[in-house]
Amino acid sequence: MNRRLAGVLLALAVPLALALGLAAGPAGFGWPDPTTALGRSLWLLRGTRVGAGFAVGAGLACAGVLMQALLRNPLADPYVLGVSSGGALGAAAVVLTVGTGALHGLAMPLGAFAVALLTLGLVLLLAGRAAGGGPSLYGLLLSGVIVAALLSSLLLLLVSMATHEGLRTITWWMLGSLQVHEPAVLVAGALPIGLAVLGALALARELDALTLGRSMAHHLGVRTRLAVGLGLAFATLAAATAVALAGLIGFVGLVVPHAARAIAGAGHRRLLPAAVLGGGAFLVLCDAAARTLFAPVELPVGVVTALIGGPFFLFILRRRRGRGWIE
Amino acid sequence: MTPAVEVRGLRAAYGAAVVLEGVSFALPPGGLAVLLGPNGAGKSTLLHCLTGLHRPAAGEVRLFGRDPAALPAAERARLVAVVPQELFAPLPFTVGEIVRMGRTASLPRWGRAGAEDRRAADQAMAYMDVLELRDRPFDALSGGERQRVALAMALAREPRLVLLDEPTSHLDINHRFEILQLLDRLHRERGLTVLLTSHDLDLAARFGERLLLLDRGRLEAEGPPRDVLDPDRLRRVYRCDLRVEFDAAGIPVVRPPLPLPGAQGSTRLPVHVIAGGGSGGEALRRLAVAGHPVTCGVLNEGDHDARTAAALGLPCALERPFSPIGAAALGEARRLLDGAAAVVLCDTAFGPGNLANLDLALEARRRGLPVWVHAADIAPRDFTPDGDARGRQAELMAAGARPWSTVDALLQELAKPA
Repeated sequence: MNRRLAGVLLALAVPLALALGLAAGPAGFGWPDPTTALGRSLWLLRGTRVGAGFAVGAGLACAGVLMQALLRNPLADPYVLGVSSGGALGAAAVVLTVGTGALHGLAMPLGAFAVALLTLGLVLLLAGRAAGGGPSLYGLLLSGVIVAALLSSLLLLLVSMATHEGLRTITWWMLGSLQVHEPAVLVAGALPIGLAVLGALALARELDALTLGRSMAHHLGVRTRLAVGLGLAFATLAAATAVALAGLIGFVGLVVPHAARAIAGAGHRRLLPAAVLGGGAFLVLCDAAARTLFAPVELPVGVVTALIGGPFFLFILRRRRGRGWIE
Repeated sequence: MTPAVEVRGLRAAYGAAVVLEGVSFALPPGGLAVLLGPNGAGKSTLLHCLTGLHRPAAGEVRLFGRDPAALPAAERARLVAVVPQELFAPLPFTVGEIVRMGRTASLPRWGRAGAEDRRAADQAMAYMDVLELRDRPFDALSGGERQRVALAMALAREPRLVLLDEPTSHLDINHRFEILQLLDRLHRERGLTVLLTSHDLDLAARFGERLLLLDRGRLEAEGPPRDVLDPDRLRRVYRCDLRVEFDAAGIPVVRPPLPLPGAQGSTRLPVHVIAGGGSGGEALRRLAVAGHPVTCGVLNEGDHDARTAAALGLPCALERPFSPIGAAALGEARRLLDGAAAVVLCDTAFGPGNLANLDLALEARRRGLPVWVHAADIAPRDFTPDGDARGRQAELMAAGARPWSTVDALLQELAKPA
């Protein structure tokens, strides 16, 4: 496919996905009537939900692109350094201590965000230094896996002590949900994600060079310690915010970057916008499907991303295989 | 004129391990120099010091009069380009994208690459014969194609100095010459300074205006090929029986050791080796590899050579650690010597504790066994109070022992029919 054509299609897909997301819901397909009170509240409800879907999808895709470049590993995703386990543990701790009352709409995201950041700090601390300064790649991956395993078992411990109601809340949170309780929470979440995306875009040249390894990037004139540190910070900011907003939504951060590479190439100046727009549109569509497929029953969006996305991306992957964008 | 590269008293270390020590040299701008040396001599570390990737522990590095470690990263990158031994991209970049990355330091942070960036990248690709590969995925290329892309990437930057880490290691013979010819032309026409590391002594002799020979972290020799490629020096540095001839154009050509005489699978002489403190490592290893049944001793348990012998599975007469040779170990060594057809003495240090080993060699010689004595002067390694080791060695030589200096030569001699 021609790259320019693919870019145009992607740019068209975004408003289309947003429109579909706004039109879809258990109350029926179609635009709500803004002259009625019910219609206005439906607009608000669907608007925050579509906004949250777009922000979370964009943030996860952006974090995925960053992690894959910084760790030089096509299998890396936003959660590879333990952000997901940390976020889940934080959310679960809030549910156990504060309970599932009215407050948890704010306390859960905050708890998840804080523990996710702490987790990355711990992983960085344990990773050890590489020869040229900055964290070592394998140290990062290894300590990320170990810390994630540790936190997961702590999470299981908390879950085993939870009440029936608490257990349900934690489980639903881990399955991922884009129902943000307050528009203010959405704004508070969209800002850090937007900042992370802008930061990543500013690092596009450095990310290209770092893909060739840290010494090569150094030879190319990149201040590698600064670039790696900033890149990890932006990835964590985006991933932790996404987790805080919507719980654990898998698949988007791993596969959207690869699909975006098929469209825009591996160069980060084009790849990042493609991945961010594609990730946002993809998650909004998945959420629309989750709300309508078995209405009035709503499916967890984390299940839908893999169920719909899996075959779709497998199809793209098979078409592109042998053209070298993934081994 | 300011030298392109100037290094003074350079010392580099990884933790406690010193890799370069007291290295000093200067390269004039526009020259083509080749950095030679066996594996582990410190070639790559020296390159890393020149690019500011590795901070020297002591000494000074200057590129065109400036300290690369103190230069702003982008400015340093425009001055010096590096071609790594191997370029690996884990994500699916195209050849064109990789080459353009060579200009990272001059690309705008926001927006597309400028016309000048694209012109330089295209020209570099044309020079390196990879223009037609520009839309191909980099990870689908062969090793040689990747190396040419890495070179194009370096040239795209239009630097004043190019450092290449074994640029010809993956190339077939026509591209190897082509690349060196190209580097040769670039440095003549554009005044580009080129420093490359290589294991190929012949190519170095042919294209290098100056050769730098590193050996175990020290600069062993520096100068034009004829001076540096001295056969004795090469034998010492590469520990291999190299010969140097001159071709019709007067360019030195380095020849590898002659193959050992004798049919394949023919029996080789059983040899007893007297060593200690690591002096016998190479002899033990290469005699065993060449097929000689090797015995050794007397050695102290835990001695470097004793561990080598144990690892090679060679029978060895052992004494307790740090103890003088006693009667039991001596008896064991005599038993081993009974099965030997030759004795090899290494450049071991002798003291009162292991002087008995020289007596063993003398006994063997008097029984008519050929004894090979390392040719290095014994005086600096004679730690006996009255110069007894010197005396024993003189007796040995008087009794008809013969000197050896390289293991290659020794193997040749041992393979000769008695």
